[in-house]
Amino acid sequence: MNERAAVALKLPPKVSGEKPGVGHMEEFGVNFARFLMRCNAECGELAEFNMGGQQTVLMSGPEAQEAFLKTLDLKLSRAAAYQATVPVFGKGVIFDAPPDKMKSQLKIQVDALRYQNMKNYSTVISQEVEDWVAGWGDEGVLDFLDEFLRLTLHTATHCLLGKDFRDRMTEEFRQLYHALEKGLQAIAFVDPYLQQPVFEARDKALLRLQELIGGIIAERRASSHIEYGDALETFMAGTYADGSHLTENEITGLVIATMFAGHHTSSGTATWTLTELARQKTYGAEVLQELQELFKDDAPITFESLREIPKLERFIEEVLRIHPPLILLMRRVIEDIDYKGTLIAAGKTVAISTYGSHRNPYYFPDPERFDPHRPKPDTLFAYIPFGGGPHKCAGNAFAMMQLKAIFAALLPRYEFELVDPDETYQDDFSAMVLKPSGPCRLRYRKRK
Amino acid sequence: MKVKIDLALCQGHSVCLGEAPEVFDVIDQADGYPHVKVLLQNPPEELREKVMKAARFCPNNVITVLEE
Repeated sequence: MNERAAVALKLPPKVSGEKPGVGHMEEFGVNFARFLMRCNAECGELAEFNMGGQQTVLMSGPEAQEAFLKTLDLKLSRAAAYQATVPVFGKGVIFDAPPDKMKSQLKIQVDALRYQNMKNYSTVISQEVEDWVAGWGDEGVLDFLDEFLRLTLHTATHCLLGKDFRDRMTEEFRQLYHALEKGLQAIAFVDPYLQQPVFEARDKALLRLQELIGGIIAERRASSHIEYGDALETFMAGTYADGSHLTENEITGLVIATMFAGHHTSSGTATWTLTELARQKTYGAEVLQELQELFKDDAPITFESLREIPKLERFIEEVLRIHPPLILLMRRVIEDIDYKGTLIAAGKTVAISTYGSHRNPYYFPDPERFDPHRPKPDTLFAYIPFGGGPHKCAGNAFAMMQLKAIFAALLPRYEFELVDPDETYQDDFSAMVLKPSGPCRLRYRKRK
Repeated sequence: MKVKIDLALCQGHSVCLGEAPEVFDVIDQADGYPHVKVLLQNPPEELREKVMKAARFCPNNVITVLEE
């Protein structure tokens, strides 16, 4: 993307069907993944639509997506596009922090995902899975949408806030977290400060969470000799460029931000992975055979043994292609952009669609067909479930490790089958994060 | 073999440092993520397995191994 004097630049083509006052909001609200595919089919690489007054340019195809993903915050701002997170994470956290502090906070977040922490997390996750299946018995039916939401809430809090907190996790904490979740719905991206009961509940919940997590921080500071090996320890140790530590509310904000990044995305993907394993019997059998060979004679599930499980990895990657948990990635244009002779003006939003990109038949022939054997595209910017470039999802390795830990433990012990008719297991586009429509019931049976 | 890196993709996860400390270091930056530093541009053949693992397990596809 060049910034040069605008010499008769074109404007992005506009998507049809705009309505006075609301623009394309209604069609977007019905099924935004399909709406974005229509934008691309109608207008091509650049397609401008109107989100309730906010002009938004969808950029499609690996070249445009690479430009989007590699352009830095100074020109394409994540912060300006994601202001809805500010009252959820708290003042001064990530997208509300000055650029240098935001960079430090994101760096500290990655510190919590480095080698030794990841090893600890893999142990924690395996333990949580064991506790989860302990009461299953030989056979039964569960709604795995609920089950995986609970399991990944447990793993997330355990990895982030440690064993003590996880063991003491109260109903109050669940409700506070849920109130914050409800504060991050579509309307919050229009204006997160509207006078609405959900936003009042969100603000109260954040205050109480700051109190709760602030209490743990104070406890830990009073007993500084203990090693925890969780993310909170890393967040507390992290410093800004001038050597100062994060405040208690900033640390709490990082904890909340990390939970939001990892919880629903992981649980939705886990639910879809299990559903597809039950549905795709031939590929599912390959994955099972691989796991039985790798973990024969009860070989333990460890960070090392989880690192290479190629068939399971390819299976999960195909799940992420067909059902990418985050469909729409956005940035706000800070200064005018000349993209190959087209002007994208400052103030507009630019967006990319993972869902649409993953259904590009040039890179993924017969795109709706589930096929873990399909070749990988020769570009890094066609398959983008975790985004890409300098701001790629920093939790991508954690996410894959967690999914592998779950299925390496589950599949050799239980077989799964769909309870309801196959076609009733569909993508649910009503929430910010993609998941299967509920209930997502599967029957499990202990293997002989 | 020759090691090529794309710093624009590096977030300092340090997997490479864990796999092949002879070849990779991770250096703090004035701001933002730490970055990988290649210590041996042309690592000897006996480090091949370690280097290949570093490339394979890098969460951000920063490392490419070129054959000469």
